[in-house]
Amino acid sequence: MAGYYDIDDILAEEELVPSVFQHDANGVGLFDSSDDTDKVIAGSRAELPFWLVRELYLRQLISIRVPPCFDRDSKTREEIGADAAHVDLKSRCAYFYTLGCKIAPLIGDKTIGPFLLVAFRTRYREVLIKAHTLSLSVAPKYLILLTNEEAKLYEAGQSSIVAFKKWRMGGPRFQMAPVLGRKRKPT
Amino acid sequence: MYGRKASELVKEFATSEPGQLSTFNNDLYSQVLEECEGHLLHLQPLMRKIQEHENELKDKRSSEDATEDSEDERRKTEAEKTIIQTALKSDQFGALVHHLSLVRNKRCLMAYVYNRAEVVRSLGWMVDNVLPEEIDEKLSSSEKEYFKNHVATLQSYMSELDLHLTVDTVPPKDPYIKVRVKEDIGEVALSDQVANLAQHAIMFLRRTDAEQYITQGQMEELTS
Repeated sequence: MAGYYDIDDILAEEELVPSVFQHDANGVGLFDSSDDTDKVIAGSRAELPFWLVRELYLRQLISIRVPPCFDRDSKTREEIGADAAHVDLKSRCAYFYTLGCKIAPLIGDKTIGPFLLVAFRTRYREVLIKAHTLSLSVAPKYLILLTNEEAKLYEAGQSSIVAFKKWRMGGPRFQMAPVLGRKRKPT
Repeated sequence: MYGRKASELVKEFATSEPGQLSTFNNDLYSQVLEECEGHLLHLQPLMRKIQEHENELKDKRSSEDATEDSEDERRKTEAEKTIIQTALKSDQFGALVHHLSLVRNKRCLMAYVYNRAEVVRSLGWMVDNVLPEEIDEKLSSSEKEYFKNHVATLQSYMSELDLHLTVDTVPPKDPYIKVRVKEDIGEVALSDQVANLAQHAIMFLRRTDAEQYITQGQMEELTS
């Protein structure tokens, strides 16, 4: 499990999973604020964040549906199968791989793992090529397709290219501390 | 939705550029704390109710053991028991949701503070013991305290070792480098000379002397 303080892990667990309550819950009013009985009845549907879903699902208090992007006969699977590198994954799930890895053992769907692997393998190649060759002006168009994990890889690839160029050209070895760099007005 | 505000707080940290700090979000931070109070308020009565239900169930069970009832009555108590059990489970469910939300909020708050503290610590290595104003105003008062103490610890450790650890983080090629002074610094005693560091002056200095000025942005290194 990722670290307790891991920002990305925290944000990945914020992704919503469609779930159905299997049991009444008292004193929980916030899911549906129009209701003032302060109660959720069995059978109601809600999209719950993953951090809540895991514990409740293990106790069989809710049942869940696989998020649409992992679903066995969803459009996403077909698109990944057709041309993985150009699917806009970010808008479907910003932490596609992290959430996938968390949700697969929970629901015991054996097809999610290989699916993630195929998606990553094809997309990683593209990410690496683009990171090394794309000029800064075209990059934003491509970046919006990437999930947060891929964007990190992209940045890593780019910074290694920058470091390589710097090494080849030579240049100042001392630099101003990066914290002092931006003198933006505090908002 | 529960835990939404806390995740906003974390998201805010995540979107700021790595190594940079944004202003400590006191407002949102206290809102999350308030939400935690709210969860506690919900949790306590639920816990009380759970306790009550459990006691009731216990009573029912013991009275059942004591008396020999007719078929009818036994069925009746059985039905009552199921009702209590369902109510018990609903309360437990609710309590669990509040408990999980509390744990989640705690994690978000801790992560926010911890990751900021990490940046503050790294500042101690980059800028000498005084924080520039534009960064200083972004820190909360306890973070300022933390920075001060961290720098003091670092300083005392370095004086104990008699070694300046914050210089030469990049291995030097040549003991002297050419620099241009960007801001008026004035007459300064360096390790090998007393130099007048006036603005735009181009000088040949020892790397160790120049390094702290460069990291603070008062000089830049010139390469030929």
